[in-house]
Amino acid sequence: MAETKTRKTPRAAQAPQPQRSEVWRVVVLNDPVNRMSYVVMVLRRVFGFAEERARKHMLEVHEQGRSVLWSGTREQAEAYVFALQQWHLTAVIQPEPPA
Amino acid sequence: MKRVEIKLNISAVAPLLDIIKQAADDLRGQLAIRATFPEHDEEFNETWTAELLAGQNSDVRELLGLFGSEFFAEGSIAIDSRNSDSLLRGCSALRIQILSHWLQGIPTDLLEEEDVPPEAIADAVRVPFAAYTFLDQVQKIILEHLDPLAAEA
Repeated sequence: MAETKTRKTPRAAQAPQPQRSEVWRVVVLNDPVNRMSYVVMVLRRVFGFAEERARKHMLEVHEQGRSVLWSGTREQAEAYVFALQQWHLTAVIQPEPPA
Repeated sequence: MKRVEIKLNISAVAPLLDIIKQAADDLRGQLAIRATFPEHDEEFNETWTAELLAGQNSDVRELLGLFGSEFFAEGSIAIDSRNSDSLLRGCSALRIQILSHWLQGIPTDLLEEEDVPPEAIADAVRVPFAAYTFLDQVQKIILEHLDPLAAEA
């Protein structure tokens, strides 16, 4: 089950603003510290990935420096990035490039 | 509930605790990894950082709590499914801080090795390196024996 962050800032109360993108990506970046089994465990915990999928992402990060973990709504992407940062993984949210 | 008790050599671990406590002090007011924010909203970003920092401090406190008077009397620490998540995160935060404070000059491949001969590490950073690998071993034991995924289920 994903750990989620409850938004406590006033963003939700602000006037709606045009979104640059409807779809947002959660990208995790490589780090030299966390052991591979730790990264796999975190990805399974946060996203509910099966072992094989979590391991695939972990190897992608290790070899290519980054891996796109998820894409979808901005609010859910923010919650995932926050959860990854709680586990001390470097994660960013990016707009999905236009098709 | 699964529980692991780890017997440690007090005289070997005590010097590592000095490094770990210093890293913990460094982390009291800063995140181990700089947060990246999804938007340019100062108040939102402050809240985001404060929540991460509160969690990090709580995790590090949990880890330091393992090494209280009972540890120095018995020489053992106990980990179970109630504290394993905090300890995993606390170890991670402290390792990142130890790396950035003391171990920047050590090549990445050495940092990732399991059995580094002491002579491969400069005298000045042997104790921080030992603290770094000690915390890695604590994480490894938790991951192998406490099955954090089962704890979540």
